[in-house]
Amino acid sequence: MAQDDKRIGASLAAAACGLLGSAVPAISRAADPAGNWDIDSAFLYYGESDGRVQDLSLTAIAVRDYGDDRKLSLDGTLDTLTGASPSGAIAADRPQTFTSPSGGGTYTTPAGEIPLDSSFHDTRFALNASWSQPIARLYTWNLGVGLSSEYDYQHAGVNSGLTRDFNERNTTLSMALAYGMDTVRPVGGVPIPFAQMPDADGEDDGGEQANRSGSSESKDVLDVLFGVTQVLGRHSLLRVNYSYSDSSGYLTDPYKILSVVDPVTGEPVVRTPPPGAEGPDGIYLFEHRPDSRRRQSLYGELRQDFSGKVLQIGYRYSTDDWEIDSHTLEGRLRLPLGSSSYLEPHLRYYTQTAASFYRYSLAGDAALPEFASADARLADLDAWTLGAKYARETAGGSEWSARLEFYHQVSKPPAQTLIGNQSGNVQMPDFDAVILQFGYHFKL
Amino acid sequence: MKADMNLNRKLALLLGLSSLALGACTHVEPWQREVLARDDMQLDANAIDTSLDDHIYFSKEGTSGGRGFGGGGCGCN
Repeated sequence: MAQDDKRIGASLAAAACGLLGSAVPAISRAADPAGNWDIDSAFLYYGESDGRVQDLSLTAIAVRDYGDDRKLSLDGTLDTLTGASPSGAIAADRPQTFTSPSGGGTYTTPAGEIPLDSSFHDTRFALNASWSQPIARLYTWNLGVGLSSEYDYQHAGVNSGLTRDFNERNTTLSMALAYGMDTVRPVGGVPIPFAQMPDADGEDDGGEQANRSGSSESKDVLDVLFGVTQVLGRHSLLRVNYSYSDSSGYLTDPYKILSVVDPVTGEPVVRTPPPGAEGPDGIYLFEHRPDSRRRQSLYGELRQDFSGKVLQIGYRYSTDDWEIDSHTLEGRLRLPLGSSSYLEPHLRYYTQTAASFYRYSLAGDAALPEFASADARLADLDAWTLGAKYARETAGGSEWSARLEFYHQVSKPPAQTLIGNQSGNVQMPDFDAVILQFGYHFKL
Repeated sequence: MKADMNLNRKLALLLGLSSLALGACTHVEPWQREVLARDDMQLDANAIDTSLDDHIYFSKEGTSGGRGFGGGGCGCN
């Protein structure tokens, strides 16, 4: 009944607004001379504490206006990642030895430290192109394609969207679809789910290791989005999006493992590699996630002008059938400093519940669950981002900017996944990161 | 079944929010849009920042997206 009331309310409001509608221009930026490129470029440094992931990234978005609202947009990104990433194994009171993903050797984590896989390094290219144009009065259509490539991961995708203006262009409804096809070729091959981390074969040739089921796997992702943008007044604008995402295929992380522990103490089970072999000194199993994931999210964003200061508030709720529910709240406040520069503080808060199959470790005497992962990104976690951006326009009309932000993430395993004494000495891979970005915006 | 119920709840919420938004519409005329037409009032005003942020959060958190479609997938370990 309440839903019906709301639907009727929406219809009445739409009808009432529609009565006053007439052909007027949509909200648009001051038109750039047709044929010019508008280019936004950025250099980003992302660095985590304790020698973990470091990323250097170059990005450029180029938009060319062909007049009559016909636009071509091209963007490209080059990422270079180095550093170490948590493997999923738990910290122990003794040093722990693991086989590297390539099987070429082993690495040892000191006692009391979170095991990090330091063989993590990557270079990623991404290219996207999209075209948008009006297809009828009040209707705009766009089509985009995208590609990205890493040494062990390839992505190709297409997307298309349609928008329709209503209510003197005070209301815009949009719908969009995206389809992505990804292929993963893990170093050493695709691990067999829950198979044990094997001994090293001593060859760093990227060949297939023991306990692998092939060289590649794939996944498909379908996204659907419905959105409403509404002018709330001369100084205020609201956008609300509902999106649905369906991923199917290989959703497991081939580099993540779980520690098998003593069912009483919760300490890692000790293993001795065969004579003459180099290998793990504990029992570590490759993780296994479901092969489908359906996610829904609701996103709202408000932009409000206060005499030249612009407040932007965004909120997202997301829920999925892995039982990860998340809330994200973020705000930006653009404060003009004179006529040619501004300062923009930014605050973000994120919280999520753990995936139903998240485990801190696996008990040595228990039957294996259907799915399990110790990836901390699937745990209960909270994160804060705090930072600011400063931008200054040059006399020639270009703009340069600098952004500095700090990210802090804290995760905790659900109590029911802890075994033995683990509740007293759980260590999670919490971390801090710094985000430093320099941007330059210009026209060609 | 549970997913369907969730979907219905979310759709109802979306419609509710839409009706609130539409109910608040005040018919801003084209000649009253000098503020709304400013660069800093566009929904994509921070496009490059949000796209870089989305990529970072995609690789560090369990959920992502919502604002639109992110460009390009990634292995992101």
